[in-house]
Amino acid sequence: MSQPLIDLIHISKSYDGDLILDDLNLSVKENSFVTLLGPSGCGKTTTLRIIGGFETPDTGNVIFNGEDITTLPPNKRQLNTVFQKYALFPHMNIAENIAFGLKIKGKSKSYIDDKIRYALKLVNLQGFENRSVDSLSGGQQQRIAIARAIVNEPKLLLLDEPLGALDLKLRQDMQYELIRLKNELGITFIYVTHDQEEALTMSDTIVVMNQGYIQQMGTPEQIYNEPENAFVADFIGESNIVEGTMIQDELVEIFGARFACVDKGFGTNTPVDVVIRPEDIDLVKPENGTLEGVVTHLIFKGVHYEMEVTTPNGYEWLVHSTDMFPVGQHVGIHVDPFDIQIMNKPASEDEEAVGVNE
Amino acid sequence: MKPLQKKLKKFFENFYLVLVLVFLYAPIAVMMVLSFNSSKSRSHWGDFTLRWYGQMFESTAIMDALYNTLLIALLSALIATVLGTAAAIGISSMKKLPKSICMGINNIPMLNSDIVTGISLMLMFIAFGISLGFKTILLAHISFNVPYVILSVMPKLKQTSRYTYEAAMDLGAGPAEAFFRVVFPDILPGVLSGFLMAFTMSLDDFIITHFTRGAGINTLSTLIYSEVRRGIQPTMYALSTVIFVTVLALLLITNFSPSRPAAAQAKKAGPGPAFQKGLLVFVSFAVVAGISYTSFLKFSSSHSNELYVYNWGEYIDEDVIRQFEEETGIHVVYDLFETNEEMYPVIEAGAIQYDVVCPSDYMIQRMAENGLLAEISWDNVPNVSNIDPTYMEWSEAFDPGNLYSVPYCWGTVGILCNAERLEELGVPIPTKWADLWDPRLSGEILMQDSVRDAFMVALKSLGYSLNSVDPAELNEAKDLLLAQKPLVQAYVVDQVRDKMLNGEAAVGVIYSGELLYLQEEAEALNLDYHLQYVLPEEGTNLWIDSWVIPWNARNKENAEAWINFLCRPDIAKKNFEYITYATPNKAAFELLDPEYQNNRDVFPDTNGLDNSEVYRYLGAEADDLYNTLWKEVKSR
Repeated sequence: MSQPLIDLIHISKSYDGDLILDDLNLSVKENSFVTLLGPSGCGKTTTLRIIGGFETPDTGNVIFNGEDITTLPPNKRQLNTVFQKYALFPHMNIAENIAFGLKIKGKSKSYIDDKIRYALKLVNLQGFENRSVDSLSGGQQQRIAIARAIVNEPKLLLLDEPLGALDLKLRQDMQYELIRLKNELGITFIYVTHDQEEALTMSDTIVVMNQGYIQQMGTPEQIYNEPENAFVADFIGESNIVEGTMIQDELVEIFGARFACVDKGFGTNTPVDVVIRPEDIDLVKPENGTLEGVVTHLIFKGVHYEMEVTTPNGYEWLVHSTDMFPVGQHVGIHVDPFDIQIMNKPASEDEEAVGVNE
Repeated sequence: MKPLQKKLKKFFENFYLVLVLVFLYAPIAVMMVLSFNSSKSRSHWGDFTLRWYGQMFESTAIMDALYNTLLIALLSALIATVLGTAAAIGISSMKKLPKSICMGINNIPMLNSDIVTGISLMLMFIAFGISLGFKTILLAHISFNVPYVILSVMPKLKQTSRYTYEAAMDLGAGPAEAFFRVVFPDILPGVLSGFLMAFTMSLDDFIITHFTRGAGINTLSTLIYSEVRRGIQPTMYALSTVIFVTVLALLLITNFSPSRPAAAQAKKAGPGPAFQKGLLVFVSFAVVAGISYTSFLKFSSSHSNELYVYNWGEYIDEDVIRQFEEETGIHVVYDLFETNEEMYPVIEAGAIQYDVVCPSDYMIQRMAENGLLAEISWDNVPNVSNIDPTYMEWSEAFDPGNLYSVPYCWGTVGILCNAERLEELGVPIPTKWADLWDPRLSGEILMQDSVRDAFMVALKSLGYSLNSVDPAELNEAKDLLLAQKPLVQAYVVDQVRDKMLNGEAAVGVIYSGELLYLQEEAEALNLDYHLQYVLPEEGTNLWIDSWVIPWNARNKENAEAWINFLCRPDIAKKNFEYITYATPNKAAFELLDPEYQNNRDVFPDTNGLDNSEVYRYLGAEADDLYNTLWKEVKSR
């Protein structure tokens, strides 16, 4: 069992009366790749900056390796950050940028030179030592920013939307690069992004945040397949979230039709939210489906077709399928029991944002 | 057809550009050329000479002023750069509203007129009892320089990502180290151009320095200004040339430097050129701190035995001051003023306590009437017996009872004639003011461009007193001046001598103080006409500049020692030979070269001056009337 490397205990932070983080608790184990995921303004960057030491929480403690570092300035913390806009030093060349942290620690020249070479090899930019920052592309700059951080051999690397400024292809390449680095170096990564795909691809653990609360924490599969509330379900991937009634264990009624499911313990005749992923909907002949509808929209997406199927009550179901059904065709909707995710309905608007970390 | 049009268009484009450049730079070029002219004349080319440059470097007044100027510019620019950069960093991290308020406040002093800044700074210094001097100039310059530094650093800070600072901290640098190794090199071009801008602004400044400086401290600009009255010396052309070239060089550096560091750094792989640059800045700062420490000692060292002298520019032989200091052991703080009107409020305000001042006749009367003068203890000034009693009598016109003043220089106002030119025109040499209304002299007359002098000519030609306050008489004089106006070539101040030397006019109204210089220059230039001075029959203005002691003088006995010293025959002679204005010192006159003694232009027969008068202060009401009538004359 690996032990927690960093513990955030009852962290709260507000700016000008706006509560950004409200009693946040988070524990990160050594050697893990944890992603803080959420829309902008959810508090994920603030959390990262509190860990990095650039912000001090109003209340609560930051424990690093068993030591309270809440008020320790950034330069005294054994961790490094890769910033969103790279934040390379424009008046230094690449080697000087990478050497910056080591020079401050007073390492020998030969040690520094070795480290520069090693780090550049690690990020696939051998021979870039004397280049100027301006002459590098965005992706190259980001890799230098990572190299500059990792030569200091931090126990923890914080990454603040490091791929946000890159284009799609480069972003995907860099995702693999980061995973490879993490495995090679054995450093704990805490990664902040608003891109759910990025989070799903790279993380061991995803922490979904909204409005200063942790909404759900789990493996990518858990987060995707078993969202605990409508926010998580909506934020992670596309989904159909509909109102239903839990008739009894393993049976839910949606729009008057009864679907078999695998969820239990919601009681009987309880109103619930039901999440069904678009790729989990099977379109069949009208007579074979649980619900009946008409295809009202069709787009070819490359890997699959995206369709909208409108049921008589007017709800438009989003469906992804490799089979094509033309617009106007009557179809039946079938969902396998284990593809149906049942969630408690929030009692109020506010509760939608309530944390699940108690 | 078409190519021709094109060529024409091109030609006019270039022609226009050249025209603009000529308008902009011709005056400076003229000044530069004159700085190499061996003749003092502004219109005659003598020979090429570096004499003025030599004299410039030999003059302690100029060198002191240069030293002050550079020291103040350097110190104020450095301190302003440190303050301004710190302020800019603070402002840049503010929220939007406070930031724009701060920047607005920052911009106001730059838009504010210098005279408001200068006066308000002076008032503040006086209100807080800070004696005006080197440090007040320095403080004033720092305060007007800071906004320029902020303005030039802000854009650089805006370009700099705030994350680089955090990144440096993240990599283990402390706050100071992160700033100096990462942020500072980034904003360095802005800081440097802010520094250079502040340096040039300080170098250029006249108005604010003028108001905040104290006794005995001149910068180049105030020194040049104080010389205007006696005509700017060619050494000033040399000096101005040097200043222009310096400012030009600085501007070139400012405009071409920001691109350089970036280019140089891209190539360099060595450890932190930025760090070396920072080191350089600090070393130079240390050097300047050293210089400033010594100069503070120099300026603040208090002499128990001091004398604050306030005099016209170029109105004493500097050796005389040195000799006085040697003989008496009194340390002289010597300061210059430009006009009586400028001197008066300084004495009235009492911000600088001068011990001895040299105003003109009517101003002495005004000062005495306002209680600004102390009576001289004649026991301490035995040498006053060397002054010809005639001048003491004249002094009674403005100093009844000879309580306050001792005459220093005197002279007359008369008509300078170009004899050959008059002959050509068929006009006899004028003998009286009324001859200046001869229609044959159309376009040949130069009049003084000052209200009292112009009215003096008219009043005297009418047979009235030049101190008349009778509105009827003054209106008559005004009508006469208006009648003369079509004949007048120009109303000028000190160009009379140059225009006359240049043969541009036949007659000009001129102060007798200029004559010796004119005669020497005319001889040197080998003119084929000769210039003759005429004292008009109707009488003229007799002017006397005298030493007085302000009521608040702290070293009255030293002041009396000074006056006594200047009355010594050998000293008065030495001064006369330098200033060339007539001396009232009888004993000194007797020591002079017979050639001077017999020069009736400089030393006119005092018996022939019976109708002449000394200007008196006429009171505010009469002043207004004179000015209103004069305005009418000038504007018609």
